[in-house]
Amino acid sequence: MTNQDTPAPTRLEEEGEIAADYLEELLDIADLDGDIDLGVEHGRAAVEIVSEEAPGALDRLVGEDGEVLDALQELTRLAVQARTGERSRLMLDVAGFRARQREALEKVAAEAVEHVKSSGESVALDAMNPYQRKIVHDWVAAAGLVSDSEGVEPARRVVIRPA
Amino acid sequence: MLADALEHLVRGIVDNPEDVQVTARSARRGDYLELRVNPADLGRVIGRSGRTARALRTVVGAIAEGPVRIDVVDVDRR
Repeated sequence: MTNQDTPAPTRLEEEGEIAADYLEELLDIADLDGDIDLGVEHGRAAVEIVSEEAPGALDRLVGEDGEVLDALQELTRLAVQARTGERSRLMLDVAGFRARQREALEKVAAEAVEHVKSSGESVALDAMNPYQRKIVHDWVAAAGLVSDSEGVEPARRVVIRPA
Repeated sequence: MLADALEHLVRGIVDNPEDVQVTARSARRGDYLELRVNPADLGRVIGRSGRTARALRTVVGAIAEGPVRIDVVDVDRR
């Protein structure tokens, strides 16, 4: 969660290139139409598989609740690590799935923050994975309230408290 | 095609890609993919608590649009 040793942009670009090669060949073998967009966001390589075909063409690579996307991200990080010798924290997205997930989480966080502010009581959210919790924590901090996490994975959840 | 996909996914994450071999097999219990890797890469393809092996099954299963059985065998064994 800290920004220690943010890798240089060139390293992140190299991570993106390795990831793109790995994913492009997979799309080829699986006969899936998709292009790879590369970028750098929040000090990490950002890689997205996009499709100009009908919406839903890449749904298979997202899976239920992003299960396939997370698995593919894991393998892509390992592929980068195998070539660079360094752990990769690259973020993979497919057809905007994570962006939509982030919007939905921010909506949940916004509603919970409103509730905490009006009632003066803490609110516990549903269980989330670390990535989702981070999005909520960031949003709550920006709104000027305090949050922490309670419970044990996979039942760990964010609790938002009055400031 | 599934065997090719698995072979590609694994070759990208190991130290000895030339030793990766995937064979599609049929058995009474159903079709499965047999994955052979260099013994030195066994840990790589299994991962901590089987995390990498699980990721491989998830992605190959998604491409297959159904569950796929993957057996990991190291090249020393026959």
